[in-house]
Amino acid sequence: MKDLLSEVKSNERIAENIYMITLTLPEDAGAMHGGQFANLSTGNGQHLLRRPLGICKVDGSDISLCYQVKGGGTRYLSTVPAGAKLQVLLPLGNWFDLEEYKSVAVIGGGVGIFPLIRTVAENAPQKDFYCYMGFRNKNAVCLLNELSGCKKLTVTTDDGSYGAKGNAVEAYLREADNIPAEAIIACGPPIMLSVLKRELSQKGFKIPCFVSLEERMGCGMGACLVCVCRLEDGSNARVCRDGPVFSIQDVKL
Amino acid sequence: MADLSVEICGVRLKNPVIAASGTFGFGREYNLLYDISVLGGISTKGMTLEPRLGNPVPRIAEGSSVILNAVGLQNPGVDYFIKNDLKFLMTKGVTVIANVAGKTLEEYGEICARLDGLVHMIELNISCPNVHAGGMAFGIKPESIEEVTRISKKSLSLTPLIVKLSPNVESIPANARAAERGGADCISLINTITGMAIDLEKRKPIIANNTGGVSGAGIKPIALRMVYEAAHAVRIPVIGLGGITSGTDALEFMAAGARAVQVGTANFTNANAMPNIISEMNSWLDAHGIKDVNQIVDTLKLN
Ligand SMILES: Cc1cc2nc3c(=O)[nH]c(=O)nc-3n(C[C@H](O)[C@H](O)[C@H](O)COP(=O)(O)OP(=O)(O)OC[C@H]3O[C@@H](n4cnc5c(N)ncnc54)[C@H](O)[C@@H]3O)c2cc1C
Ligand SMILES: Cc1cc2nc3c(=O)[nH]c(=O)nc-3n(C[C@H](O)[C@H](O)[C@H](O)COP(=O)(O)O)c2cc1C
Ligand code: FES
Repeated sequence: MKDLLSEVKSNERIAENIYMITLTLPEDAGAMHGGQFANLSTGNGQHLLRRPLGICKVDGSDISLCYQVKGGGTRYLSTVPAGAKLQVLLPLGNWFDLEEYKSVAVIGGGVGIFPLIRTVAENAPQKDFYCYMGFRNKNAVCLLNELSGCKKLTVTTDDGSYGAKGNAVEAYLREADNIPAEAIIACGPPIMLSVLKRELSQKGFKIPCFVSLEERMGCGMGACLVCVCRLEDGSNARVCRDGPVFSIQDVKL
Repeated sequence: MADLSVEICGVRLKNPVIAASGTFGFGREYNLLYDISVLGGISTKGMTLEPRLGNPVPRIAEGSSVILNAVGLQNPGVDYFIKNDLKFLMTKGVTVIANVAGKTLEEYGEICARLDGLVHMIELNISCPNVHAGGMAFGIKPESIEEVTRISKKSLSLTPLIVKLSPNVESIPANARAAERGGADCISLINTITGMAIDLEKRKPIIANNTGGVSGAGIKPIALRMVYEAAHAVRIPVIGLGGITSGTDALEFMAAGARAVQVGTANFTNANAMPNIISEMNSWLDAHGIKDVNQIVDTLKLN
């Protein structure tokens, strides 16, 4: 974990309301795995909090983060030009550890696809990935070329304007019994993850499933206890440090 | 290099920069980023007798140049701290301040008794606006401030007592004097200012607790005024905080009468905020030919 003054190499729109920002790090910050995130300053002094964004691509000393413009911080971020300097704390949190699995189902919804892209990139082609990626509509579809290492890629949109109509969880469930996946990894909106948990629970959790959670953060490194989620055993866990990746059976969703 | 060391009620700090309670945990995480022994001190996350799970999420929101939080004193309990984190902190060569809270007067007395002699200082959180049952009630009126201070002080024979004042009150000078009468060795201020952030689309407060404590750069002018008022109302030393982001911010608080400062929210904006502040203080003092930071204390000249 390092807090570095990085240089913005590029910051471009890649789909409707979605941008990819590539930062050149001034020094090595260690290995960065899919699921881990960066806490990025927006560059506007009025935003005292950094924005947690999943690490999406790593290329030497360049790292790319993809973000949806939602509120004031990401809106400001989308105006930051190449050449600007932004403070970034990384890498943070744990990651999708797939060491034990050869074949993995990947379920992503919305901005949840970005950390999954890094996981696929760092593990393919040694592992077989069966990917189910859901977007709002065809204008939101992006980065599919980054998933070319997958064994199989299914794209869904809510309105059917690209790929199959429906969401990524439905697409996975349709094929679940016909793919040889030994584990599932998933990232997406809370409602998607809770539906996934309910469905898997009904089937008796046949294979392990790991999900990456989102929560509002302060420090991003485990000190302030702002970002907790509730575990099934009644205790709290810090999304930024004990997570963001948890076993779906351990977290209340 | 100016001499940055300060002394507060008999405790020597290598510099006046202390991590503010609740933003720095027990120091372990930030110690992965930099050696926390460069700091003057660390005020721990607020502790209670029993472990607490705290408030539901979201616990944080942002305003313009401020943040709001309502963590609700999630902590593992004082006994867990003594068993698992105390030794780590005490071997770091920083002044260790245990920040504590209670639901009743007796709890304040009991938690102070358990920590007496184990840490360098104890800081009473009588102002945390987040917990329905505790906190706020003690910190509003001078009478209850005096009472909670007296009970806590009675349990302490070895460790100096800091009382941390709330800004959500009628009179800072009256409350500062009440803490002094109750036997406080030192005062720190300010804790967070109660506020609200709203999601207009949902017509709902963003923070699950509805209200949260406002902190960060935007509250500095309010904090400076209150620190000035407190420092001129009592003889005991005052530790100033609220919105400190830079070395010059810290020196402004000292000019207003503070003997040391704490830094909270700035750690979120910039994880290396405190080491930077220490070196900025040094540079400013050097540039002004001042050899000892104590020469800045209480040098404010009113118009
Ligand atoms: C571990 C992790 C990884 C993430 N990865 C990505 C990613 O790769 N791409 C992406 O587009 N989004 C990602 N998010 C969500 C992203 O952090 C928020 O969308 C973003 O912070 C919103 O900021 P804003 O300035 O648009 O909103 P504002 O409303 O201005 O933000 C105000 C505050 O709330 C926080 N906040 C608001 N919504 C969220 C949220 N959903 N999750 C966490 N904090 C929030 C902000 O960080 C900020 O502190 C991730 C979140 C987490 C926790
Ligand atoms: C996330 C968070 C948690 C806090 N927890 C505590 C606490 O447990 N006890 C306490 O006395 N103050 C607590 N505070 C208040 C700070 O210690 C400090 O008084 C306040 O934030 C003002 O300083 P700042 O503007 O530098 O942050 C907390 C503040 C924040 C932001
Ligand atoms: S954001 Fe501070 S503990 Fe997670």
